[in-house]
Amino acid sequence: MFAMVGKFAQMKIQQMAFMILAVFLFFVLVGLFFLSIELRSIRQEAAVLNEEAAVSSLQVISDMAEFNYDSGEPLTLDEDKLRVLATISGYDSFWGVSSIRVYKIYPANEIVRCPAQGCNYYEIYNDGQKNVKEYSTFVSICRKVREFSYVYDRCEIGKISVGVKING
Amino acid sequence: MKRGEFSFVWLFAIIAGGAILFLAVYGAFKFGETQRYESDTGVAKTLATLTDPMQAGFAEGSYGKISFKQETRIRNICFGEGLGRNDISVSMESGVGNKWGEFGGAISVRNKYIFSSEISQGKEFYVFSKPFEFPYKTSDMIFLIEGGYCFTSPPREISEEIALLRIPNIRIDNCSEGDVVVCFGPGRNCDVNIYGSCVENCKSVYDEGTVEKKGQTMKYAGNLIYGAIFSEKEIYDCNVRRLLQRTGKIAEVLSEKADLMNARGCNTNLQADINVWRGLTGNATADEIISLNQIAKNLNRRNVEQCSLW
Repeated sequence: MFAMVGKFAQMKIQQMAFMILAVFLFFVLVGLFFLSIELRSIRQEAAVLNEEAAVSSLQVISDMAEFNYDSGEPLTLDEDKLRVLATISGYDSFWGVSSIRVYKIYPANEIVRCPAQGCNYYEIYNDGQKNVKEYSTFVSICRKVREFSYVYDRCEIGKISVGVKING
Repeated sequence: MKRGEFSFVWLFAIIAGGAILFLAVYGAFKFGETQRYESDTGVAKTLATLTDPMQAGFAEGSYGKISFKQETRIRNICFGEGLGRNDISVSMESGVGNKWGEFGGAISVRNKYIFSSEISQGKEFYVFSKPFEFPYKTSDMIFLIEGGYCFTSPPREISEEIALLRIPNIRIDNCSEGDVVVCFGPGRNCDVNIYGSCVENCKSVYDEGTVEKKGQTMKYAGNLIYGAIFSEKEIYDCNVRRLLQRTGKIAEVLSEKADLMNARGCNTNLQADINVWRGLTGNATADEIISLNQIAKNLNRRNVEQCSLW
């Protein structure tokens, strides 16, 4: 009699344990589902914030004292400073982006990296990231030139491009 | 028989159920905390991006207002090594659990100079910027303020600047209760005292001098006066050190630029001076700002219009 009751109780405990385990697993799965949705939204939000930061950094970087030409015009870069920045070290992560490149786009010749004769491309900074999305805008690239004892600003059309790391 | 079965099954169910309930409540609490951390970090990142247009560019200054739906704390920690950085983190008031949770993740801002208290609290924050020119433009300084300020007897230049920026929480000679009172010169009931010391080539005596606040003294030159008024000494000293480091780094670029210009026949006659300037500013501190300002003024005079270096 006691043995039967013991078996019955064991059966009930097993039933209960399986039920509890099933309920627990169900909630874990529901939790994981919500977590994956949440993580996706965090990634999307981070991507949007990074994109906003990259777009606004185009203007910010162009107007920095290290880049801008002293004409007082926005989005005007100093070619001499570009030439120096392409070789100088010590700025590293200061710019807040993965890469900064500046191209002269007219006349459309083959790309020659500076410093070199007839160069038209300055690589200012590149942290070597692979997953990078680039944003660019048109700029003027100017320098002071003296010809026949007359000093004037010689400007060319160019493009500044900043790279931002893409997550995932 | 029934009594034994009942008590054992129920005991087991209560223990297991309790454990599941505890885990569920703990999980929900942790999830809420993570959500809060994520949201606060997102706000800090947005805040850092929002200050981008605050960089005055070529303008003399610009002003903006940042509003939050609930009371918010903004923490600004400055690191001065190398070109340095400001770490910005945010904590928003919550109606659930702790009123003030931990600050969200810090967003490092390396190319901006944010002057504020270490922790600013409020629903509305005013942000304005002014350029740091020493003697060439180094960067824009961003001032983050909350609460009211009242300037008593400021010089005409500062009154005009404040009037132009139209910052509603900075009043001139028309103080409200609770305002931080900023006195130009000695005065009664002042929270901040400013003593001008400029004697040569000045628009006003307050072009350079010292700001006294909470028993501490901060030396300033030019637009740094606002940094000294609106930020704590630790943040002020750190940001000034960063600005001077950057000034030295730009001097390195300008020195090479002078070389290139000279080669094209556009002689600047400034390369030697700019190299000395680079050495002076590279490791300078806020305490040296007034003596450096004299040298900066001389350099600016020598930057001739034709073939100017900046």
